[in-house]
Amino acid sequence: MVTIVLNKYKLLNPLKISESELEELLFNLKSEMKPLDENSVEIEINADRLDLLHSAGIIRAIKGLLNIEVGESKYKVVKTDYKLIVNDVKSRPYALGAIVYGLENLDLQELIQFQEKLHSTIGRKRKKVAIGIHNLDKIDSKEILYKYVSLNHKFVPLNYSEEMSVKDVIIKTEQGKLYGEISILDERSPAIIQNDGQILSLPPIINSEKTKLTEKTKNLFIDVTGTSFDAVAQTLDLIVTNLAEAGGTIGIVETKIGENVISSPLLIHNLVQTNKDYISNILGFNTEICPQIMRMRMNCEDDGKVIKVLTPPYRIDVKKEIDLVEDVAMGIGYNNLGIPKYSATSYGEYDELSLLERKIRDLSIGANFTEVFNFVLIKDSKLLENDYVKIVNPISVEYNAIRNSLLPVLLDFLSRNQHARFPVRVFEIGDVVIRSNDTDVGYTNDKRIGYAIMDSRVSFEELQSPLHYILKTLGIEPIYEEVTDNIFMEGRVAQIKHMNKVIGILGEVNPLVLNKFKIEYPVVLGEVYLRRLKY
Amino acid sequence: MLSENELKILEFLKSVKKSNSDEIAKRTGLETNSVLSLLELLASKGYVRIERINVEQYELTEEGKKRKEEGLPEDILINILKGKEKSLDEIKELLRDDYNIAISWARRKGLIKIEQGKVIPKFNEYRSKEFEALISLENADKETLALLERRGLIIRKQRAILQVELIREPQANDIGITYLTHELLVTGDWTKYKFRKYNVRAFPPFYPLAKKHYFKEFLEKVKDVMISLGFKEVNTNYIEMEFYNFDLLFQPQDHPAREIHDSFSVEGKGKLTDKELLENVKRIHEQSWNYTWSQEISLRLMLRSQATATTARVLASRPKAPLKSFTIGKVFRPDSIDATHLIEFHQLDGLIIDDNFTFRDLLGVLKEIFYRLNIKEVKFKPAYFPFTEPSVEVYGYLGKLGWVEMCGAGLLRPEILEAVNIKSRAGAWGMGLERIAMHFLNINDIRLLYSNNIEYIREMKESE
Repeated sequence: MVTIVLNKYKLLNPLKISESELEELLFNLKSEMKPLDENSVEIEINADRLDLLHSAGIIRAIKGLLNIEVGESKYKVVKTDYKLIVNDVKSRPYALGAIVYGLENLDLQELIQFQEKLHSTIGRKRKKVAIGIHNLDKIDSKEILYKYVSLNHKFVPLNYSEEMSVKDVIIKTEQGKLYGEISILDERSPAIIQNDGQILSLPPIINSEKTKLTEKTKNLFIDVTGTSFDAVAQTLDLIVTNLAEAGGTIGIVETKIGENVISSPLLIHNLVQTNKDYISNILGFNTEICPQIMRMRMNCEDDGKVIKVLTPPYRIDVKKEIDLVEDVAMGIGYNNLGIPKYSATSYGEYDELSLLERKIRDLSIGANFTEVFNFVLIKDSKLLENDYVKIVNPISVEYNAIRNSLLPVLLDFLSRNQHARFPVRVFEIGDVVIRSNDTDVGYTNDKRIGYAIMDSRVSFEELQSPLHYILKTLGIEPIYEEVTDNIFMEGRVAQIKHMNKVIGILGEVNPLVLNKFKIEYPVVLGEVYLRRLKY
Repeated sequence: MLSENELKILEFLKSVKKSNSDEIAKRTGLETNSVLSLLELLASKGYVRIERINVEQYELTEEGKKRKEEGLPEDILINILKGKEKSLDEIKELLRDDYNIAISWARRKGLIKIEQGKVIPKFNEYRSKEFEALISLENADKETLALLERRGLIIRKQRAILQVELIREPQANDIGITYLTHELLVTGDWTKYKFRKYNVRAFPPFYPLAKKHYFKEFLEKVKDVMISLGFKEVNTNYIEMEFYNFDLLFQPQDHPAREIHDSFSVEGKGKLTDKELLENVKRIHEQSWNYTWSQEISLRLMLRSQATATTARVLASRPKAPLKSFTIGKVFRPDSIDATHLIEFHQLDGLIIDDNFTFRDLLGVLKEIFYRLNIKEVKFKPAYFPFTEPSVEVYGYLGKLGWVEMCGAGLLRPEILEAVNIKSRAGAWGMGLERIAMHFLNINDIRLLYSNNIEYIREMKESE
């Protein structure tokens, strides 16, 4: 999800619709609109529809849904004598340029927002793609170069008044600190420069003050650089088509990459073929395909057998036949598809452990234990056994490990409830994570049930008794064996065994452990491993 | 109406007619103080007449208690002399603090003579009347008592006792007893008594009622809904390979959701033995996204960030159509913890594989799931997820909250089905459960779903 802020009248006035109609139309274009203040609205755009990050793109899409304009939007394209010469820039090899002429009343704020949202999405925070937008009239040469410059090269960065070396730009400016390291290689930085050596922009960091845009700027030069040719070409297409939709004329720049000469922007069109049955069968809805595709602002031909769609450059999300299905559904409107009533024709099936879990929960309630439900993540210092899964990148020390037993979880719970009305009798059923050689990840979830009683006086038998009869009701004949365990008091702890397997442990908690959890009342605690009861 | 203790007193009085509070206490085994208040009660109910009288009573002083134990000093003096004379100095040595008392009382009582610094006893042994009196005060004569008082061995005290006279015998139906017992039932004696009335309007003491956890119960209810719709439950581990959490679900390795701050990583690498699956995923990623897919990245371990990882495991097992499965499980995502966010929460993920399954069918299933969860109104919004096409978000109408986004769904992309050799169509969906639970449980802070305050859990009301 990407969020943009727009003046709502930029949309309402040209489309002549009400705010609620706009909201509804945007909803059907995967977007959600929320009012911010009297004039502005916040619109959440889905990450696949980058064409909607600018008001011109939204207007284009809505005109289709309203049948004001259908099919591909056509833009004026002219040749120019500008050239972009791309040198061998290993750390950021791809660059394309384009010109847009004749813009009126340039909305600088929106243009910058559009640029930034493209940076954060398709641009992967400028790593994959970065955009420089310049006032064309301030560029002195018809030949523009993309090449490395040394870190000592000087220029005036955007919004500064004095010359700085590239090195200083990286160290001192805010953008330099954020993006400076991305494309530096061998003490050199990629740059877009005039043929006299003046820097126009320093991708992916910053533009120059020289070609700064103002509200009066009418003609733009746009450079897009990056590490993926496809992403660079698509980004440039998205920018120029939206500016053209807003009234500009696209100017072609001859881009030389080695021996190859490319007319840029590429204005990529892909042919995607399908047929009516394919789409109708997937949707479960029969309709004429082409009219819907055209309303989604794509050209469409139907010869009765094959449907041919030439995807426009602003719809970079449509690549394959399957992608057309969604557009047809959106054309119809998801809520107009007529939802069939679903009725189950098969029987459901619980996981075996789920059924055991339900039985043992019922029995535990019968034994007068209240169910508690704690987090799986825990602070590692609370764990009582050393073998546990640590989170490499925790966001809080309180949750930097995964519980490997329910015992510390219950002790932690009790320590927070010492002022509650006594007795406190609780149980928790849930997964812990332990090491395992039987899984492909080396760890496994292990479902357990933990019991705890805290009172002014407790005894081993007070827990053993209910637990014994819970287990017996489940068809298990538990045997208790003396064991030594640091968590519990010597001589007051037992392993619970069933058919020679240890299925759990219970005992009175060692005062040292109670101290660790700052518990001032005696506690009797137990844990049963559910998987071992059945398998 | 009479209590058991009142009855005890009356039963005793029936035999003696007249008595006093001391005697009653002694005979009934009741505390003197409760006898006094019980007698007041019986008098007010008209069973006895009482008269308060003050009686004098002697009590031993601290010294008196000592003398009672050890004997009076003059008695000790005579008894150690055993008829023989001893010097004053020798006696002083033997009696120490009691020397003066012993000599002066022995002379006053004419038990000894003192000549030339020597004590000559007149008796071989001696037991004074005062000592006898100390042992049993009640049998002592007035003179002796007066003497003891002067010697500071006893002190005179006044105390109230009640003289009691029975004026009405208890009738069978006067008697109120607390517990109906086995004995009363088998002897038939219960007919003789009345049972004491309780103050039934008083609130009872605390009772630690055991309860199932409200949020867990909600999750179980969701499970039941899925079972009732014919789905099979599956569960997999929290620790997962990126392969199942992302790669198999067609998320490119540079997808923003795969960045370090969007999921929790765990040390170690997983193992993938399904070579065909690995090759398919590699090929599809490289063809679709035009980059070099890395197996190393896909084997990295993480805490699963979506329950769709479980669905991916089901798909990787190459199930046969038709199949309907679901999972309800914990997922983990780094976030700030506040009233609306947690770093671990539950998702329901569902999967249908069927030859002729359509997008409309999927919408029908989703609508039915929500209907059974008591969300009767839903609407569908086109959406984008890497692994589905067409994709949809389900919005449910939640009264005062209005339309709330609840679920992401879609038909699985052909690329994914191709990777696991499934020829049928498949629909899948995932939804967070905490927010819906909060609505139905009327909780407005998500942290309260996992409250660690037992009193909050105890006070939680049953939801409708």
